Amino acid sequence: MNGPTLLIVEDDEPARRALADYLERRGYDVYPASTAHEAIRLWDGHRADAVLLDLGLPDLDGVDVIRHIRREATTPIIILSARGDERDKIAGLEAGADDYLTKPFAMDELNARIRAVLRRAGGASADSGGCLRLGPIELDAVRRQVRVAGALVRLTPREYELLKVMLSNQGRVLTKARLLRAVWGLAYADESAYLHVYVNRLRRKLSAAAPGASLEGLIETEPGIGYRIADHEAVSLSKGPRLES
Amino acid sequence: MAIAGAGGRTPRLTRAALQAATILGALIPATLAIALLANLGVTHAAPVYLLAVVAIGMRWGTIPAVATSVAAFLAYDFLFVLPLYTFTINSPEEWLNLLLLLAVAVAIGRLVAIQAEHAEQVAQRAREAQALFGISRALAETRTVEEAAPMVLERLAAAAAMDRIWFGLGPTPAEEKTIADTAPGEPLPIPAWQVVLQQSPGDEPARWARMHVATAVLRRKGGRATVHRVRVEASGEALGSVWALRARDEREPDRAETRILSAAADQLGQAVVRDRADQERTNAEVARRSEALKTALLDSVSHDLRTPLATIRAAAGSMLDEAVAWTAADQREAFQAIDAEAERMGRLIRNLLDLSRIEGGALQPELEPCDLDDLVPQVVKRIRATTNKSVHVELPDYLPPVLVDQLYLGQVLANLIENGIRHGGDTIRVTARQLKDGPVELTVEDDGPGVPSAALPHLFEKFYQAGPPGEAKRRGMGIGMTVVEGLTRAMRGEVFAGRSDLGGLRVDVRLQPAFVPEEAAEPEAAGDRAAAEAGLPGTATR
Repeated sequence: MNGPTLLIVEDDEPARRALADYLERRGYDVYPASTAHEAIRLWDGHRADAVLLDLGLPDLDGVDVIRHIRREATTPIIILSARGDERDKIAGLEAGADDYLTKPFAMDELNARIRAVLRRAGGASADSGGCLRLGPIELDAVRRQVRVAGALVRLTPREYELLKVMLSNQGRVLTKARLLRAVWGLAYADESAYLHVYVNRLRRKLSAAAPGASLEGLIETEPGIGYRIADHEAVSLSKGPRLES
Repeated sequence: MAIAGAGGRTPRLTRAALQAATILGALIPATLAIALLANLGVTHAAPVYLLAVVAIGMRWGTIPAVATSVAAFLAYDFLFVLPLYTFTINSPEEWLNLLLLLAVAVAIGRLVAIQAEHAEQVAQRAREAQALFGISRALAETRTVEEAAPMVLERLAAAAAMDRIWFGLGPTPAEEKTIADTAPGEPLPIPAWQVVLQQSPGDEPARWARMHVATAVLRRKGGRATVHRVRVEASGEALGSVWALRARDEREPDRAETRILSAAADQLGQAVVRDRADQERTNAEVARRSEALKTALLDSVSHDLRTPLATIRAAAGSMLDEAVAWTAADQREAFQAIDAEAERMGRLIRNLLDLSRIEGGALQPELEPCDLDDLVPQVVKRIRATTNKSVHVELPDYLPPVLVDQLYLGQVLANLIENGIRHGGDTIRVTARQLKDGPVELTVEDDGPGVPSAALPHLFEKFYQAGPPGEAKRRGMGIGMTVVEGLTRAMRGEVFAGRSDLGGLRVDVRLQPAFVPEEAAEPEAAGDRAAAEAGLPGTATR
């Protein structure tokens, strides 16, 4: 098969097999691993287009696997983790993971997430004109302008920076601490109340600028973690037929 | 006993002087009366002195009465018996009269004194009984010794004429912990002397034994105060002590005071033993109930987990049966059943985990500002995907952010909506409003049969099932509401249950509003100039 390659790291055998079977049928090339060491060996030998990683591994902390991969590549990583492990999820996202899924999850949800991170890997950076786009939102990094469905939006410098960081990370989950560090600086990493105020105001301004344009689901709150930024293709697809391949 | 040392001298002198003055005060008018009677020609008016003897006997007791008799004898001899103004007596008849007077005076004085002492004893006993009764009542009317002790000590201090009394519990004085004190907060005195009441076996009266306190350096500071210690014991076990301080003088407590101190200590000892027994019974009851809860939990959990599991195995087993040819529609239905039941198990496990965290006090909410118009639709969207009942959301245009743990609030809301769905409602309504005094109230109500008024107060109790017990089994276990309450409390919120206008149950979750920082007065720089230059419409919207 010549589909995208996936490294699946999961220590529970039935779960690993169910994931591998499903994703193979979905057209992916799958490398299954049951331990962190096996995962690192497979990664070093084969690379992969994306990684699915269970954080609770028998030999090493899953976060170590993320760090190992991030030393060499920006390959998308999706964390698979149980509810109640919010700290672990945040640690994984901070170490460089792109997204997470809470077990138990539905297979179509997993498929949608994998597709989203693979698209992002194709490049969500600014286009040649220095523009970042997400749905009806357009951020012109050269002229520092933001438009929604063509209408100009007046943003403060902080709001602009916040939106820029978000639009540069489409298809990813951004932790609160990461956004605070990126926009306010290191000293503000614990001030989640600030972030709440700014995200709120940003959402209000964006939706007020073009009342007709749908912004639903572009910046979604991930309770206890941070914010999920939708990606361009998901937005355009969700308007038409349901995202499915 | 050794205790009546130098310190007792001053009051005793005063007392003697007072007695002498009273005797004189009684004898002079009597003498004058006799002189008057003699002038009127009455001979042998000596019995008038008896009145003085009676008065003194009633007031001061036997010895002053006898002293008065002797003084009266001598005064009569000196003033009225020939030869006058000498103590010499010539006639044997006068001798006889005088001796008779003396004998009668002594006898009367003694009788009167005994009578008076007896009356005093009766009154003393009555006071004692009253004080002891007050102490017993204080102990009987309160649930614990700690609660009763301040009242008991107050009464004891009054009855035993002590300046300060405190009560410590512990096997030895050094290990004692003071649980009540009539002068709470003040430092405990460091006395030079400690007097310990020695209770002897049998009917022998208790005795005070004086002990030197070894802390010589501190002695000066303690002054002359004597601290009395009465051990509190029950069946030979030392439980603690009642300490009594008398700052005014070093007089040893008299027999009545000693009796009352000792009786109070006995009663306190019995009350401590009673408290312990109560505590043990309560512990046993708690253990028994938590054992019963565990059993109920296990029964309930195994039942509720087995039900969806049975459906899953039945559906999967049917699909695996090669003898049957299933249509694509049949297969899809079976797999949907498996999916729905797995979802149900997942929900149950989530609640169980939350319940165990609530019970174990292991909840660590991360409180942060959250907008209900952001979170509520997310949760509702997830639930709508699993049910064909309608869930309406009506939120006002503006709601202040609430201070919550978003995951907890999500679970609270999901439990409330799922509860409404499971208990017969076709329509579930989710609303919110800000209350006058600040909090935000999130309400979930349904049009189901509702909960009887009598059951409303128990709704949040663990395993509580409204409705007939047989029905309960089919409805899932009653931990969802307990989790709602536990999580809400962890977020410093409150939950109330009532009757909905829709006809079913209404649950209000009251949440704290979040303090959010003042919106920074930041200039809107980005895009501003360009907008002005281009003169585009709609640029001023915010």
